[in-house]
Amino acid sequence: MVLVPHLLALGLYGLATALALAPFAGLRPAPRALTLGAPLSGATAHVVGVAQVTPVGVAPVLSILALFLVLLQIVSERVFRASAVALFTGPLATGLVGLALLIGLGPGAAPSGGGNAWFILHVTLSVLGLALLALAFITAALYLLQFRELKSKRFGQVFRLFPPLERLDRLNHVALVAGFPALTLGVLLALGYAVRYAGGMHVDPAQIVWGSFTWVVLGSAVWMRVVRHWAGRRAAFASIAGFVAVVLVYLALKLAEPGTQRFL
Amino acid sequence: MSIAVVGVNHRTAPLEVRERFAHAPREVPASLQRVLSAGAGGGVLLSTCNRTEFYLAEPSDSTAETVWAILGERLGAGRNASEYGYFQRDRAAVRHLYRVSAGLDSMILGESQIQGQVREAWEASRPQAGPVLHRLFQSALLVGARVRSETALGSGAASAPSAAVALADKIFSRLAGRSALVLGAGDMAELAAGCLVSEGVRVTLVANRSYERARAIAEQLGARALTLDEAWEHFATADIVLSSTAAPHAVVTWERVAPAIGRRGGRPLCILDLAVPRDVEPAVGQLENVFLYDIDDLQAVAAHAAAERHQEVPAAERIVSDEVERFWAWYGGLAVVPVLKEFRGRLDDVRAAELERALKRLPHLSPEDRAQVEQFSHALLNKFLHPPTIALKQAAQAGRGYGLLESLKKLFGLERPDGS
Repeated sequence: MVLVPHLLALGLYGLATALALAPFAGLRPAPRALTLGAPLSGATAHVVGVAQVTPVGVAPVLSILALFLVLLQIVSERVFRASAVALFTGPLATGLVGLALLIGLGPGAAPSGGGNAWFILHVTLSVLGLALLALAFITAALYLLQFRELKSKRFGQVFRLFPPLERLDRLNHVALVAGFPALTLGVLLALGYAVRYAGGMHVDPAQIVWGSFTWVVLGSAVWMRVVRHWAGRRAAFASIAGFVAVVLVYLALKLAEPGTQRFL
Repeated sequence: MSIAVVGVNHRTAPLEVRERFAHAPREVPASLQRVLSAGAGGGVLLSTCNRTEFYLAEPSDSTAETVWAILGERLGAGRNASEYGYFQRDRAAVRHLYRVSAGLDSMILGESQIQGQVREAWEASRPQAGPVLHRLFQSALLVGARVRSETALGSGAASAPSAAVALADKIFSRLAGRSALVLGAGDMAELAAGCLVSEGVRVTLVANRSYERARAIAEQLGARALTLDEAWEHFATADIVLSSTAAPHAVVTWERVAPAIGRRGGRPLCILDLAVPRDVEPAVGQLENVFLYDIDDLQAVAAHAAAERHQEVPAAERIVSDEVERFWAWYGGLAVVPVLKEFRGRLDDVRAAELERALKRLPHLSPEDRAQVEQFSHALLNKFLHPPTIALKQAAQAGRGYGLLESLKKLFGLERPDGS
């Protein structure tokens, strides 16, 4: 039963998205128990669904990415009181689960060449790194929106509902710094997996290019923040540019190699 | 049996009258004692800059006059204090306190400071409050908390000084530990500095054209005094600048502060210009990571919050009404129990006396028969008493017990000679 938990998660993520957007439509903000409860319940159902699929192919990876985004949204709200993150993660997670369902989710086959646990760990860590890069992009976008509101002295819903600039900057920093080791480990596991189980023969070049590019982008962003001490608007622009580049390269590779299996 | 409130507030009395009526904490016990001596079962005095109110349990007819006399003495020159005030009884008095505690009766709608003041008043008057007012004030604090948690009546910053805090709060993730530089010695800057200090901001420097004046304010805030010319360098380190000089033109110019701001390494700087005419050149606000707000901006934030708070008034009033009924049901029930006890006791005395008389006239009855007759008398009394007891209890629970209780007392002569 892969479909039912995914449909349940889809519905609850949709509800969480509606709750996050409600104050911008002039409605009263929902109680915190509900804004946290809906994504948390969705994530619980989603974990049940994801546990039953093998992470091979685009659909399962999209589903795992959506799950990580929602979990990061919950952590952002609980730890950083940044509930506005849900404005992006909510629709994104809903869309990704919907897309995964459209593409087709099933129990799937084990990865060729064995090493199931190794492979699952590689995918999990890589997708976690990607989700953290997405979170860095989201916080950067929120930062720039709040920055614009504060500079232009508009005291509307964005001013009221978005977190303070410094908190968004801190969340961006944490997302990048946590994402880099996760993705690095994911890439190293991919290399190890390719050498040990797949003999380095069955990995698509497009996947290697995209994985390496994402790692370089994330690494550069961390280098800018940690070594060069970039912060605020400059760091936000860098995060957005990095994430957009990763997405564009993915789309370009997808167009260049439309039949590529596995992740791409 | 009643509850009353006698007092004045910002709607009924101008500031110059209210400040005369205001009681310092040390003056509260003596004034309350005078009021209680005039006849009341308990009293609490709530005195803030916006109100002086005596809450009284079971006041006599002359108690309100005593309150007006106490306040009138503070006005002097034979002026009548009651011209400025109000007197409310029972449900209206309970509703009044609940509205006060919820911030519905505040000058700035929904402000939260009043709840602390209600708590302090209750605690200061605790020895003289008595059980009814004790319960009333306890419930008033709960009503205030309920209104604030279930509605957005307290959301946003509805005054200019709190708007200054709200703006700084949207830049820095924590205000506690931030450093502030105060330019000038205006009242507004002092007020806003007070608001920031209450959030944990450290005012480290106070600069003014007159060094002596700067030193006087710096001493109050635990800061260091500077002249204005020495202040520009500190734009490199301060997190928040509060400016309120009496200068007729902008004193914080791009040329004076841009070099120092350039050395901040991108750290945000919040400048709150509270002076009219403005102290800070608009060009300073164009600098990277500088957030400049003037008094109009603060008022815009405050007006926005105030408008949103007004939308919450019906919901808050509904909570107040629910809670008034809940309190009144408890209060009605409180009065029913002793009266019912007295009522049953009286009738039982009558039953016992009549039974004794009847049994004397029936000496031939066996002990079993006597017991039967006694049981019959008990059963008959209980049957008679059951409907009025239930009706009274139900009326009390619905908050309508007061009238029935008074009727019962009159009909069966349950009032004691002292009227209690």
